Amino acid sequence: MFRYIAGRLLESIVVLLVVSFAVYGLIGLMPGDPIDLMVQGDPNLTPEDAKRLKALYGLDQPIIDRYLAWLGNAAQGDFGYSRNHGQPVLDVIGSRIGNTIFLLGISLILSLAIAIPIGIYAALRPYSPLDYAINMFCFAGISIPPFWLALLLIILFSVTLGWLPAGGMATVGASGLLDRLEHAVLPVAALTIASVGSFTRFMRASMIQTLRQDYIRTARAKGVSTTRMVTHHALQNALIPLVTVIALSFGTLFSGALITETMFSWLGMGKMIYDAILGNDYNLALVGLMIATVLTLAGNFLADIGYVWLDPRVTIASRADKR
Amino acid sequence: MADKPIRNFFRYWMCALALVCGLAIAPPAFAAKDTLVIGISQFPRNFNPNIESMLAKSYVLAMARRQITIYDPNWKLICLLCTELPTYKNGRAKNEKTADGKDGIAVTYSLLPQAVWGDGTPITVKDVLFTWQAGRHKQSGFGNSELFERITSIDVIDDKTFTLHVNKRTCDFAGISGLELLPAHIEEANFAEPVEYRKRSAYETDTTNPGLWYGPYRIAEVVSGSHIVLERNPKWWGQKPAFKRIIVKAIENTAALTANLLSGDIDYIAGELGMTVDQALAFEKRAKDKFDFEYKSGLIYEHIDVNLDNPVLADIRMRRALLHAIDRNAINQQLFAGHQPVAHGQTNPLDTVYNPDTPKYAYDPKQAKALLDAAGWSVIKQGIRHNAKGERLQLELMTTAGNKSRELVQQVIQSQLKQVGIDLRLRNEPARVFFGDTVSQRKFPDMVMYAWVSAPQNIPRTTLYSTQVPTPENNWSGQNYPGYRNPVMDKVLDDVETVCEDAPQKKLWHDMQRLYAEDLPALPLYFRANPFIMPKWLKGVTPTGHQFTSPNWVETWTAE
Amino acid sequence: MTTVTDTPPPSPPQSNARRMARRFRRHRLALGSLVVLILLALLSLGAPLIEALLGIDAETTNLFQRFQPPSAAHPLGTDEAGRDVLARLLHGGRVSLAVAMVAALCSAIIGTLIGLFAGYHGGWADTLLMRFTDGVIALPLLPLLIVLAAIDLNKLGLPESITQSEDVSLYRIVVIIALFGWTTVARLVRAETLSLKQREFVRAAVAQGARPGRIMRTHILPNAISPIIVATTLSVGSIILFESVLSFLGLGIQPPVASWGNMLTNAQDLIWDAPLLAVWPGLLIFVTVIAFNFLGDGLQDAMDPRAVD
Repeated sequence: MFRYIAGRLLESIVVLLVVSFAVYGLIGLMPGDPIDLMVQGDPNLTPEDAKRLKALYGLDQPIIDRYLAWLGNAAQGDFGYSRNHGQPVLDVIGSRIGNTIFLLGISLILSLAIAIPIGIYAALRPYSPLDYAINMFCFAGISIPPFWLALLLIILFSVTLGWLPAGGMATVGASGLLDRLEHAVLPVAALTIASVGSFTRFMRASMIQTLRQDYIRTARAKGVSTTRMVTHHALQNALIPLVTVIALSFGTLFSGALITETMFSWLGMGKMIYDAILGNDYNLALVGLMIATVLTLAGNFLADIGYVWLDPRVTIASRADKR
Repeated sequence: MADKPIRNFFRYWMCALALVCGLAIAPPAFAAKDTLVIGISQFPRNFNPNIESMLAKSYVLAMARRQITIYDPNWKLICLLCTELPTYKNGRAKNEKTADGKDGIAVTYSLLPQAVWGDGTPITVKDVLFTWQAGRHKQSGFGNSELFERITSIDVIDDKTFTLHVNKRTCDFAGISGLELLPAHIEEANFAEPVEYRKRSAYETDTTNPGLWYGPYRIAEVVSGSHIVLERNPKWWGQKPAFKRIIVKAIENTAALTANLLSGDIDYIAGELGMTVDQALAFEKRAKDKFDFEYKSGLIYEHIDVNLDNPVLADIRMRRALLHAIDRNAINQQLFAGHQPVAHGQTNPLDTVYNPDTPKYAYDPKQAKALLDAAGWSVIKQGIRHNAKGERLQLELMTTAGNKSRELVQQVIQSQLKQVGIDLRLRNEPARVFFGDTVSQRKFPDMVMYAWVSAPQNIPRTTLYSTQVPTPENNWSGQNYPGYRNPVMDKVLDDVETVCEDAPQKKLWHDMQRLYAEDLPALPLYFRANPFIMPKWLKGVTPTGHQFTSPNWVETWTAE
Repeated sequence: MTTVTDTPPPSPPQSNARRMARRFRRHRLALGSLVVLILLALLSLGAPLIEALLGIDAETTNLFQRFQPPSAAHPLGTDEAGRDVLARLLHGGRVSLAVAMVAALCSAIIGTLIGLFAGYHGGWADTLLMRFTDGVIALPLLPLLIVLAAIDLNKLGLPESITQSEDVSLYRIVVIIALFGWTTVARLVRAETLSLKQREFVRAAVAQGARPGRIMRTHILPNAISPIIVATTLSVGSIILFESVLSFLGLGIQPPVASWGNMLTNAQDLIWDAPLLAVWPGLLIFVTVIAFNFLGDGLQDAMDPRAVD
């Protein structure tokens, strides 16, 4: 067990290093640096100014040197300064990460709270009219372009009905949980609608599969009630695929709320990373993407642990061998 | 089947979910009229006025700071922080020779006697000296250092009066808006290590420090990426502003921006940094009874740069044919409801130096066809022109991807050029690639469409002078992207900087515009307008149409 | 399907296929979706014909005919540049569907090859390929997209006919998705190969000295094809959505080429003035994605060997 975890950790660190270099290189490969953009926006800036500023920001150094310098500093815990926020990188991320976790956490909990019972309900009556209706509803959620869904929500609930704020994190000057929650309703709804469909489908599929297992048939033959059968026998097994899906999508979720965050002016990580890349804010983009990568790798890892926890037949060792 | 418990269980579950969702829904709070919430489409990257210039920053800073001189809404240079502009007549401007014998000038300004920083410290020559020294330091990270280099020394006359010795005599000596004062009593300590200044500046580390601000408002709260709260500055010496508080919110997506306006989350969409005219027009139809719409055309010059190294486009007949074939008037009238006037050159008709007699190219497809025939593109196959060698008349027009207004115009131009037998291909790139690489290193084969933003009476030296063509040899410096080289134009550009008497200078300005129109290094399209979308109760906002934005007069804004 | 020479696979493919078809037909939503998709594909393919018949054109702008309501000349009205909305929707459908299907197919092929190889050979090759897969999954897509949007294609030695083409943004998207979308299929195929490798008929073939390439081709692939088909079908829908999101970010298919994604993005600012311009492409994306999902769902049910009739 210990050897397995240590091995996985080592692997992850290697992947992380490779990804960090790949990302650094990629951002560096993009033509145009911040000073070029500055020059375009300000006709008064002379070529001498541009040259001086490039030297000042270290942009005249070869990319590999800049990467190594960054890596050296990062190893000492200095992740640098975000050019586009005028703050140290960790301060910027610190102010954002909570918002992202809040938004994603609530919507994840909410979508699971909806998806698991509905998925089970559909699985108990496959191909019934209600199952069809649930299917339809799930696919509808998956099939709407996310920015479109956000815009429709804003138009309906903020403009037409006037029930909810159209965007932002909180009313300026107001403090309090209720105000914050009010601002979170629409973004959470948008994310939930987008993810609840696939969760429900996974839940339904794996529950149907589980209910076909022999031990369930045996239990059923013995006259165990449906509720008990689901909660005591089938649920644990049926949750395995869902856990995998969620764990594997950690990283994507993290940077993938970009559209929702943009539409609702939510100060999250997705938007921050996107702006950092487009604005050539090296340090911030790198650290943001690193966090997303770490989460993806951690998700992978958790998925494996989750298997063991949920399915006693699988041992860590056997999982490790199968990889 | 024992379904019932399950069904009940679901019923409870749904009720619980509905309750959780419903709890959060409550009527929104209405903004009181002592607060004005402004929506803009971009958030300032930093707050130090001298590090990098960007529109969002100058918009916000205009409420909390005042430049020494700026252009007013009538495009006249005025004093904001000084008592009077230096002229030869009032004795505040005197010609002199520099140490190395060149023509220099000495100009004297007096700061307003009552001007103080927000913490009560008077604004004095000390601040001027500190700012100048910081600006001259190579590693301070200031954007434009030319002004600071030009000032060779500063004489202190008294606490409020100083004389600048400038080593270059130009006609626009009176304007020193680039000298953005920094509070010496706060920033001197942060400048101890100049390389670190841009990170340590109190503007970034302690943005809400009242001592940094001296406008009608001061910055009271910043939530990076979201909003800025400005409160009245109790030490402000001028007219007391009507709003107790102004909140500037950044909302990038324009559809979300309009939705926020309709839902009352914001009161006003800033013209300078809001939406494009076509977006505003689409919105106006629905919302014109709720809001006032004002369109101010100004110094944003949309044009197509032509690569003059391309032999096809080096032929002046071709460039003239292109301009004759584009119905700019229809574009303005139909797409922009007449709010973005057709440009006949880079100088705006509102500018005092505008030459109304420059050659103009009306929409005239017949003339365009004749010019194309004359240029040798007379064989028409499948609707597209070819030359005698059988080459197809195919050109490429590039612009910034995702800018819908430009993309729309681009597609209209494509359609219009097809009518005269030109096959126009469109290729767009994200802004950072487009400006950072394709344009700045002249990698475009034929044409690029974008805009220049300038101040009134701006001399287009960097865009037209022959030495300003970016090449690998000069390290891609300069902004003469078409590759325009005309010794006559060079001479005019040299002279217009230094010949300051009214009549001769006016003639030079007129010559410059005539040359531009005759040579067409770029195809002028139109002057972009800023749509101001204001609530009916907001009065006193005066659009300027140039880089000095309307909040420079924020104290005159009132609610009715 | 292939004929089997050495040892028969578990069940004869002929009757298998018939059973699948029967089961698929029972899945009414999937069947309906297939009909809808075929209809959409035909309409899109026939776009030039329909244009000629109705005398409309997707690219000619007319500044004096903007935002026209539906009429005989323009069945769905005109857009912000005075172009016919119906013609643009049809052309957009061509682009969106073609991009999605080609990209899905390409990534399925890459994924299948990698999955087969890793699963069959196992050992070091497997470990390496699967770590590589993990790495690709962890790679952030966004900077890649921007970089790929910026690469000078002429430098890559591509012919001018491609780099100068207006369709170049199309190829870029296909390449990007193919390069990074194969991971799901690779994992599925690997898992399937691992289990098939242990089956009697594969072992028999190995014992008879058949070469690995042949075994993979004739024994493993045909039996692993169902999850590939299902995953590919489902991915077509998500690629169409992905294209619309890319358009929203300004990285998608560039004008003047119409796609449902960029039509929808363009329409969002016009929502107050001409909401229908947004409704049409939005609706078509919605219907198409949902149809591909139902189709995938139906195929999955039909191909599930454990399903009962």
